[in-house]
Amino acid sequence: MKTGFSVFWAAFVALGASWFGLIYGPLKQLGGAKETAVLQSTEKWPVQRTGDATLGLQIYRANGCAACHTEQIRQTGAAHVIAFTDLGVHQAADLKSFIASLMVVPELMNYSNVITVNLAGWSGEMPKVLYRGADDAVVSMLGDKLKAVGVKTEARVVATGADIARGWGTRQSVAADYLYDTPVLLGSLRAGPDLASIGVRSPDINWQLQHLYAPRSLVKNSTMPAFRFLFKAQKKVDGKDAADALVLPIEFALTDGMEVVPTPEAKQLAAYLVSLKANVPLYEAPFTPITVAK
Amino acid sequence: MSDEKKSCCSNETGEPTVTRSSAPMWIIVVTLTLLFTGGLFIDSHSGWFGKNIYAPYKSPEQLESFQPRSGAASAMARGKAVYEGVCGICHGSDGAGKPGQAPALAASEWVTAKGFNRLAHIPLAGVSGPIQVNGKGWNLNMAAMGAALPDEDVAAVLTYIRTSWGNKAEAVTADEVKKVRAEIGKSPQPYSGAQLQAMPE
Amino acid sequence: MNPTENKIFGANEIDTSCRVPLLALFGGAALWLVLGLALGIVAMLSFHKPDIFADCPFLNCGRAQAAANDLLLYGFAMPAALGVLLWIFARLSQSPLALPIVPVIAANLWHVGVLIGTSAILIGESTGHPWLEYPRAAVVLLFAAFLLIAVSAVATMGLRLNRELYPSHWFLFAALLWFVWSYGTANLFLVCNHPPRGGVQAVINWWLTNNLLFVWLGLIGVGIAFYFLPKIASKPLANSGYTLFAFLTLIFFGTWVGIPQSAPVPAWLPTVSAFAALLSLVPVIAIGIIAWKTVCGAKVSCLGGPFCFIKFGMLGFVVSSLLYLSEFCPRASRVLDFTWYNFGVTQWQLLGFAGMILCGAIYEILPRVMDRELPFAKLAKLNFFLFAGGTLLFVIPLLIGGVEQGLKLRDAAVPFADTSAVALKFLRLSTTGQLLLLLGSLCLLPNILAMTIQWKLGLARTVIAYIKSPLETPEVKL
Repeated sequence: MKTGFSVFWAAFVALGASWFGLIYGPLKQLGGAKETAVLQSTEKWPVQRTGDATLGLQIYRANGCAACHTEQIRQTGAAHVIAFTDLGVHQAADLKSFIASLMVVPELMNYSNVITVNLAGWSGEMPKVLYRGADDAVVSMLGDKLKAVGVKTEARVVATGADIARGWGTRQSVAADYLYDTPVLLGSLRAGPDLASIGVRSPDINWQLQHLYAPRSLVKNSTMPAFRFLFKAQKKVDGKDAADALVLPIEFALTDGMEVVPTPEAKQLAAYLVSLKANVPLYEAPFTPITVAK
Repeated sequence: MSDEKKSCCSNETGEPTVTRSSAPMWIIVVTLTLLFTGGLFIDSHSGWFGKNIYAPYKSPEQLESFQPRSGAASAMARGKAVYEGVCGICHGSDGAGKPGQAPALAASEWVTAKGFNRLAHIPLAGVSGPIQVNGKGWNLNMAAMGAALPDEDVAAVLTYIRTSWGNKAEAVTADEVKKVRAEIGKSPQPYSGAQLQAMPE
Repeated sequence: MNPTENKIFGANEIDTSCRVPLLALFGGAALWLVLGLALGIVAMLSFHKPDIFADCPFLNCGRAQAAANDLLLYGFAMPAALGVLLWIFARLSQSPLALPIVPVIAANLWHVGVLIGTSAILIGESTGHPWLEYPRAAVVLLFAAFLLIAVSAVATMGLRLNRELYPSHWFLFAALLWFVWSYGTANLFLVCNHPPRGGVQAVINWWLTNNLLFVWLGLIGVGIAFYFLPKIASKPLANSGYTLFAFLTLIFFGTWVGIPQSAPVPAWLPTVSAFAALLSLVPVIAIGIIAWKTVCGAKVSCLGGPFCFIKFGMLGFVVSSLLYLSEFCPRASRVLDFTWYNFGVTQWQLLGFAGMILCGAIYEILPRVMDRELPFAKLAKLNFFLFAGGTLLFVIPLLIGGVEQGLKLRDAAVPFADTSAVALKFLRLSTTGQLLLLLGSLCLLPNILAMTIQWKLGLARTVIAYIKSPLETPEVKL
């Protein structure tokens, strides 16, 4: 490179290309995103946070919680699962031999090993997973053939992955989950567990408050710092607890006559944590939803 | 400090110099190979810049194949969609009914009855004349809102109202709706409360 | 006064023109380095004794870690890099620094900006975006200061007698544009009133983090190393074509890396980053080979001097970049994501590569610019060993601990408590490494402070002597 101008030009083109591809591209593709439809439902996702939960997001940001916690679930795959739900008049042993007889059908031949292994040692406990894999034709074929003999099965789509197996979520996080977050606090280190669906795992606000005040009172050997500055120690009025005083085990409780009361910031942060639920199926992250009667 | 001229070789300014030659061929070959391999990787993993394709899904076809199709949930969702579009205007999204317009479906003995036969006649033929719901008397006209709907939709919406708002009753299948429709015939007259009571459950 | 085109400036005159700007930049940088390393230790203390700052919001682990990271990058690495850049441009141009007052003003603005930013993070007003936590006020100051320094640097480069550019020119000049555009864009989008919705904020953040920590630090560190290595080794830099190839591949491929493989964004983004990471292996290896060829056979022993710093730094570049790029391999990222590995690699880039090269450059430049020997030369040599040992002790346990943590996270049967417990053992070693680094930084600060004080005392003595000297009365011829 002989001149300053050529160096400038090279750098300009290089950075311009990546600006165009990684900033402008995603902005065009995702920047105007609106709420999306939840699969098999008339609901929309995400739900705008209200009240304390919105303020709690700012408390989360201000205290750098994203330094140790992530809010994104990973998924390594998806699977079609078919399971027995009702055997009708049949016995487990009959069904095993019936299914073995089905394995000669060309479409099912490839899976005979897998299914036989699944059914080995099964003596009728329900529900029982018959097949779990990527092929949905197998699932629908098995379902039809078993329905014809009066056996009820349930076919589901499930997400697979270590995060999901740990119960941290039912599907991976996608861009739609963060639509109403300002700022987006994804986190990059799991010194503590993932929080994307903590509102589903620990929906009790009092649990969250106690955990913030004294993490080791609820999770032994936790390395989470105690956030005592989000709480106030005050004298009990007339010897009685205030309505929102924390109920603490002996080792963490204050001396007689004193109680721990959460400040508004603590309540906001707890409300935010309880609002973190990313368990609805979307088109880009599908799974069969579990119906809960209203 | 001022020993620049001693420390650096052939340059009287004391500043470093660079030998002139070109880059070795092998590194250019390596770069081109990596470019090609990477191109294959992009082809297989990028979902070709689709907005909805998130890893681990690799293509729109694969994502489509994993969309859940069957299951109780889809029937509920379908039932809810039908309800909100057809019945909810009068009976309310919360099934509480509207005074002077339609009776409540929540905790209604017609909805939660063990047998669905009487209930199934209502959307397929309509109701006209006096009818008691939860101890209250109603005397309005309901058109056969479900007559034009397919069996699956009627079954879905009946299942939906029988399992929502605290109601706990068994689902209704499309086949069962089909049987009731066959019984009623082509252009039925709306039933009155007494006529419905006379039917088997 | 001779016209500038014909005047040949001696090394002494060039160095002296850089004195005040460099002292302003280096002095602040050394101070922020000490503070940044100290805050890093404060953040890690929370893991060893979780209740230690339970009642003090300002030293909370999350806030202290963010403040420490930003201090290392914006407080230490950037001003130090800009100071070295100005001196190198002046030397390569064989001309004194153009507009020397401008970098002095810029340095002061910069340090005020860092102060505001750090305070904001510690009181809870950070923006929440990693590496972009400084609020708008600090960002404007940093940006303005950088532009001012860039103006002075470009003007100095324009004054050069020999119009041909030396390879360091390419790297350092590109770095000037790089920061202005990427930092400006990212802050415009994220630290403003209406940031884009959803995952796009994370994408912009990842783009900037990569462009600052991998590309920008790479351009700066390599540019500086390619100046000092041949100079100290008394050998020419190996191969102009090779260097050009390394420069072009670094800027064209390196800038696309950055989106993690587990990102909640459409698949094409992490795939493009993985592709770019694969290709970025090429410039990293090329730069390693060039440095090796330049240094190999040099009959200069370093004994803890600046040459040691820069050689260690270049080795650090190759190793930290390879480790960084490995994070973007899809198979590897399944284990490495969300672990201490990422943190360890970033610290290696900041301290083990950029920090080492910048410290070595400062120790090489300061005696020339101040026209006197280092006041605590032994401390300077100790600095090398403390930094080298400290970096390895800090980073390597984090990398190994991170891999172990990742392997356990992959196995859903392992309870989460075990994954964080396995990392804790390694964190103890890491914190010891951080202490060594802090001690090392305490060797740099006295050197700069003492030189500044000696120089100011010298100035004061000159002024006092002038005041005290008898007035020359003109002879009156009657």
